[in-house]
Amino acid sequence: MNQKKLRIGLVCPYGWDTPGGVQSHVRDLAEYLIAKGHYVSVLAPVVDEEKAPEYVTSAGKPIAIPYNGAVARLLFGPIAFARVRQWISNGKFDLLHLHEPAIPSISLLACWAAEGPMVGTFHAAAKRQKAIFAIGPILEPVIEKLTARIAVSEAARSTLTEHLETDAVVIPNGIYADRYRDGEVVEKWSGNTIGFIGRYEEPRKGLPVLLEALPIIARFAPDVRVLVAGPGESKEVIESIDPQLRSRFEFLGRISEKEKADFLSSVAIYVAPNTGGESFGIILAEALAGGAAVLASDIPAFDSLLGHGEFGALFKSEDPQDLAHVAIDLLRDGDKRRALAKRGKEYAQRFDWDVVAEDIYSIYEMALVGSSGVTLSSENRAWNRFLGREGS
Amino acid sequence: MEKYLFIAFVIIFAIWYLSYSATRLDRLHNRVETSWANLDGLLQRRAAVALEIAKSEIADPASSLLLTAAAHQARDAQMRARSQAESGLSGALGLLLHDGHLVSGSIEKDLLRELSELTDKIRVAIALHVDAVNRTQMVRRKPVFRIFRLAGRAPLPVTYEFEADVL
Repeated sequence: MNQKKLRIGLVCPYGWDTPGGVQSHVRDLAEYLIAKGHYVSVLAPVVDEEKAPEYVTSAGKPIAIPYNGAVARLLFGPIAFARVRQWISNGKFDLLHLHEPAIPSISLLACWAAEGPMVGTFHAAAKRQKAIFAIGPILEPVIEKLTARIAVSEAARSTLTEHLETDAVVIPNGIYADRYRDGEVVEKWSGNTIGFIGRYEEPRKGLPVLLEALPIIARFAPDVRVLVAGPGESKEVIESIDPQLRSRFEFLGRISEKEKADFLSSVAIYVAPNTGGESFGIILAEALAGGAAVLASDIPAFDSLLGHGEFGALFKSEDPQDLAHVAIDLLRDGDKRRALAKRGKEYAQRFDWDVVAEDIYSIYEMALVGSSGVTLSSENRAWNRFLGREGS
Repeated sequence: MEKYLFIAFVIIFAIWYLSYSATRLDRLHNRVETSWANLDGLLQRRAAVALEIAKSEIADPASSLLLTAAAHQARDAQMRARSQAESGLSGALGLLLHDGHLVSGSIEKDLLRELSELTDKIRVAIALHVDAVNRTQMVRRKPVFRIFRLAGRAPLPVTYEFEADVL
């Protein structure tokens, strides 16, 4: 990139301290842009300001509320709004990039408060909800201020078209593909192994489906082992497993980035039996880049990420028998498995940040045409003047 | 007394709502203008690249003629005839590139790469512009905006139609 240096403001709606797809996307994008020489400031709800990197500005402590079937750490309210306005007027940004501006958090507040070039990225994919009918009329005028909209997947794009009747450009989430390209094969994780990474206690991650499928798989592949990595309390899960099969399970706990790369290069199959609630499936892109043969449920996000089965095998979501069937097929046919993994690895390069960030940057350029930077919107300027806070 | 207060409140709210709606529409018009400026700039650049290609060794004399004509047409076309002229240029470029020419020179390769990058950008720019136009048209159809003529004298933006056949 040999463009002029920009001042870019990124807004992350979810608590910075909690791991999550949107947070890592914002962090990676911010670090990529900083490495390219741009000035980047991230506004996010933060619990522990000491631990947050330098480029993060806290908008306050997040509030945990149930949203969209999970507990989300969001932030809103008058104090947060004041901080958002202050961040915008102090930042003198050329452009704002708001993540998930349609959920009740600071991205929405920033979109409300600012005027100028703004890009919004929509991550979520959800079925049509009744609540949106009620808040649609309030959201619409705010969302339509965005100069350009990005959806991370076809699923997210159709959610946007359905809910807010507006279109978006699809740019996938990014991964650092080279971190996964050179994973080393670790003896203890290789062989007839099935790998799983994620918060396995959450039912929507689908570990129960795998547990149910395992007896069938074990009948046809007697030496099969399941490796589960990720944070969680394994005791209860282990107790729910049939004692005869317990020895086939290994819980690794949280693993480091390096271990993750090795893990993905070592396992015979990486399985993602998620039952829903996924919009993109970044872990699948990582698994593909790591060279694992991927087996995933056929929920819309995974189906489209895996090219309808071309770059990874699919099974019928929530159907343990189908999972077992496809897994056995892959475990027995090494040539087929290796060919699938090879196709997947090549395909995964398109999710590399070098590609994804360039695409995002070209959207920035388009949004910047004929603009003179981000300011507080006229309504908010009037409000500030009324309160005697002009120029604060 | 309370009645008057209530009426005053309603009037104030109505005035606020109208001014808010006018700002909203103004922003949308602004969005249409900037997205058009962006698209227009990219299309001009494409026409320039097309002329370069016509002059280069990629094109034989016949396609060179075709391309030059199409590029000039696209440059000179008025707003309404623009999408048709640009489609013509897309077609001419398409014909040339799909013939499967073997391109050897580095200048030619650069030209073709620039063209393909531009094409990608144009595709996105069209989507952005179409979205802005649709949204503006939709808002302007709403009763409040029609009754109070919040659009003023701003012309209704026209849809740009060549999304499907851009190279």
